[in-house]
Amino acid sequence: MITVTINGKQIKLEKPVSILEAAKMTGIKIPTLCHHKSLEAYGGCRLCLVEIEKMPRLQASCTQYVTDGMVVWTETGRVVEARKAMLEFLLINHALDCPYCDKAGECDLQDLVMKYGPAAGRFTEGKRKHPESYDDPIIVRNMERCISCTRCVRMCSKVQGASAISMVNRTSKTFVEPFSGGRYNCEYCGNCINVCPVGAIMSRLHKHTYRPWFIEKTVDTVCSFCGVGCSVTAQIRGNSIVRIIPESEKGLNRGLLCNRGRFGYDYISNSGRLKSPMIRKNGSLQETTWSEAFMYIAQKIKEIKEKNGGAAIAGVASGRCTNEDNYVFQKFMRLVVGSNNIDSIAGFAYAPARKFFEKIFGQGVTANPIQGISRSDGIFVIGGDPTAINPVLGLQIRAASQKDIPVATVGYAPGLKGFAANRLIPKPSTEAALLAALLTEMLKRKPLPAEKTPFEEIIGKIQPVSLNEAESACGIASGEISACVDSLSGMTNPALVIGRDIIQRSEGQANLLLLAALAQALNGRIYLSSELPNEQGLIDMGCLPDMLPGGRPVAVDSFRKRYGEFFNAEVPSAQGLSLMEMVEGAHSGNIKALYVMGENIAFNIPDNKFVKDALSRLELLVVQDIFTTETTRFAHVVLPAASWAEREGSYTNLEGRMQHLKKAIDSVAGLEDWKIIAEVSKVLGVDMNYRDSRDILAEIAKVSPLHKGVTYEDMDSGECMWPYKGEPLRHDLNIVGIDMPDMKALLKKPEKDKVYIGVDKVLFHSASLSRNSFALNSIYSEPHAKIGKNLAAKLSVASGDHISISTGAGAIELAAVIDSDMPDNIVLVPNNFEGRGAFRVMGWKMNAAFKAPALDGMEAVLKKLERVSAEVSE
Amino acid sequence: MKLSDKVAAEINSIKSRYQDPRSCLLPSLYVVQKADGWIAPEAMAAVGELLNVPGATVKGVATFYSMFRHKPMGRHLIQLCTNVACLVMGAEELVDILKGKYGLEPNGTSPDGRFSLVIMECIGACGTAPAMLVDTDFHENLNEKNIIDTLENYK
Ligand code: SF4
Ligand code: SF4
Ligand code: SF4
Ligand code: FES
Ligand code: FES
Repeated sequence: MITVTINGKQIKLEKPVSILEAAKMTGIKIPTLCHHKSLEAYGGCRLCLVEIEKMPRLQASCTQYVTDGMVVWTETGRVVEARKAMLEFLLINHALDCPYCDKAGECDLQDLVMKYGPAAGRFTEGKRKHPESYDDPIIVRNMERCISCTRCVRMCSKVQGASAISMVNRTSKTFVEPFSGGRYNCEYCGNCINVCPVGAIMSRLHKHTYRPWFIEKTVDTVCSFCGVGCSVTAQIRGNSIVRIIPESEKGLNRGLLCNRGRFGYDYISNSGRLKSPMIRKNGSLQETTWSEAFMYIAQKIKEIKEKNGGAAIAGVASGRCTNEDNYVFQKFMRLVVGSNNIDSIAGFAYAPARKFFEKIFGQGVTANPIQGISRSDGIFVIGGDPTAINPVLGLQIRAASQKDIPVATVGYAPGLKGFAANRLIPKPSTEAALLAALLTEMLKRKPLPAEKTPFEEIIGKIQPVSLNEAESACGIASGEISACVDSLSGMTNPALVIGRDIIQRSEGQANLLLLAALAQALNGRIYLSSELPNEQGLIDMGCLPDMLPGGRPVAVDSFRKRYGEFFNAEVPSAQGLSLMEMVEGAHSGNIKALYVMGENIAFNIPDNKFVKDALSRLELLVVQDIFTTETTRFAHVVLPAASWAEREGSYTNLEGRMQHLKKAIDSVAGLEDWKIIAEVSKVLGVDMNYRDSRDILAEIAKVSPLHKGVTYEDMDSGECMWPYKGEPLRHDLNIVGIDMPDMKALLKKPEKDKVYIGVDKVLFHSASLSRNSFALNSIYSEPHAKIGKNLAAKLSVASGDHISISTGAGAIELAAVIDSDMPDNIVLVPNNFEGRGAFRVMGWKMNAAFKAPALDGMEAVLKKLERVSAEVSE
Repeated sequence: MKLSDKVAAEINSIKSRYQDPRSCLLPSLYVVQKADGWIAPEAMAAVGELLNVPGATVKGVATFYSMFRHKPMGRHLIQLCTNVACLVMGAEELVDILKGKYGLEPNGTSPDGRFSLVIMECIGACGTAPAMLVDTDFHENLNEKNIIDTLENYK
């Protein structure tokens, strides 16, 4: 026990902490500048000096730890004098342009000088000059204001792990710079801006648009971009969001955000937002009234239902919509339209993977807290780069690595280069061979128990694959594979982070089975990457062809009955169609009507041309969205929705945490998605009778066995985790319907001379939504095709040269970027930009097990273009 | 920019001597400066790539230490002291002589690229002032004549 006395107050401590922390515990505030709670103590600014009895000199309280019997004084005359002197030194070179500086009002330096500083400095020589830098589209640097606290640099290297900036030069000429000296070319997380105590680095997005004291209200809500679900605080002035910031005490992100969450919100104020409902008349979409639109849709649905039955109508839900929207959507489809044809893009990877792991391990097995990643004793990453898909989750992996926790990555994960001790990059579509070899070796070191669980029985039957067999299939030296096994076998409870690339394959199920087996052998926890903010929620809400709200299968009579009885209606029992089957159905004419809520299927589904063909054959296509998209162009009715900031509801993130999405501003034009659906339903004779999203949540809390009694207040407490307040389905140990992988087929080598096309997940974009963000576009404005250095050499292509990529489905022309870490026979193209997305030229095969598209084996022919290509025609 | 094979080989051998690649930064930057006379931004990037150290970190180190040069330099670097003792013994005149003979300005490079001149603050030879360093060689008791004789040995 340590006893310390600070300003006469005695405290007892179990463990030694810094004087600064000890003082905080007793409610005494010591001023600081270089200290920040997300960063390690630095001891550079000397503002936190305190007087310690029996020590001749003043000590920095942020680095000095308490010892037993220590007596500390934090505000003596000597201390105050010293602070005054430190501030006078800092101001020697400080611009002191507070009246013009955006930071004024929330500037630590300003506040401290007000409290401790000298009224005037004695330094009469000139100040250093350093013009404000506008070289970057997002970050303005004003180095005349920099006080060299290094908080930004430490944030960027130690927490963000990007190491994009450093302190350059020395003495009074020291300032912060990105490598280029101008543009940042970094990850644009903005976390450096967040920790700068002064106005030296600031966001350009709101420069000179307001002062901190003009903020009229702040709303704590959730980021709209990915499945991590970071907590964000929206600062509002005059019905518009002026800034999004994280708060260090809130949410799982604890003060961190990524570029999308911090800067991408500006899409909501894009002037291209849909403003009025539209109906197709004489071949073109024309503005109409809400009521006419509702009447039209209802009439059409009624006709089609009478003629072809409810099963001829299908609905596409969205991982960008709230739980409330998705709940109402499936209720409408099932009980009003009479169809189980409900699915979403989540059905391509997230949902089937989750379903597969749940079949083996039980419902909720992937609901693991994200913060557990940095606390695990090993991390295994496969199927995509978490630092691009789920950036703030990716930071957990980097943080773990900085604590010397071993990280292994399989596949191309550039954001973890330098963080993963074992980086295995197999040839395209040969991961199964590698996984099987890893499993085989693991089982040699940790054999299965004699008394086997049903799943262990299955693992026992997986055909072993030797290191050499794996080497010849996937092209990774057996030594490297066994080094990875060495690392894995030292882990007792690792995190397995799994992305969609490994799932959207013909052999997707084999990959998942091998991963499940590996998870079992390693005693690992599974995390599924999720690109949309509410993929987990839409599954929980029953937006799957075979699941009702609360994760109850439609096929089980009692669940279906119970749900129907609640509304005095009948839930159709016929098996619903998956999204890909709906598209096929529309193409073949079996599906007559498609109701799409917040999804751009004509762009976000592979083989755009096929999808568009299918859409053009529909008798009715209804699209609710906030922008004109490739899909709305085929619609018969387009309905403007409210954006993420304009509605209340809830999102459930990839760890199974329900979070409260709050309305920040009033909608410009659109209505909440659920409200639109409820209105259509009303015209069809079923009045859902919701006043607001609270009514819907209350209903969910009654009918879903998972969400018993859940309220927004539960979510606000921050701990509304899976299984929320309800019960998961009891796990059936009798695992059925899992095919044994055919190892022989999986050991087949890929053809050497062929090049395959894959999707590049770009850190700065999010499906087709982010193209409406001015900020994100200014960071990443043009799609690039990424190729490895050998392929580039073969084509004699240098970075920046244009290449054409042609496949059976068509061709696109893009500038090439060379990344020496990429495997030789693959080209990666992002799917974000209109007319130039990967899915324009990528075909698919049906993965029968998942009823979802498999994207492997899509050959492409690459050619260097002599001239920079002109417009690409649709 | 690609480092020359020789420079790359030397850096690789430095790499094998340290556990943490950041420890290789100073010796590697010296290798580059020896070969190129200065450290170009592209060379910093290339060193970073080779050592697996972020470019910004290399830049921070390279700009912190005053012995690294950030603009192209002459083949030989003259570091002439003009502090008190040397000043009293005529160092200012030597500066003028260098200007007249080679067109050298303080912090500048002669038009033929032969010499660069840096003015120093006491190089510890006050007893034998005025003094200068040419590359790594020490020269003392300079006067109007022997300074040129000395420099003529550096081609
Ligand atoms: S925005 Fe992020 S990555 Fe870029 S310099 Fe700042 S902290 Fe580093
Ligand atoms: S830019 Fe800001 S955070 Fe970075 S060193 Fe300067 S004052 Fe500190
Ligand atoms: S990690 Fe995901 S949730 Fe967090 S700020 Fe980025 S996009 Fe938003
Ligand atoms: S806060 Fe302690 S030295 Fe800066
Ligand atoms: S003053 Fe010139 S060497 Fe000391």
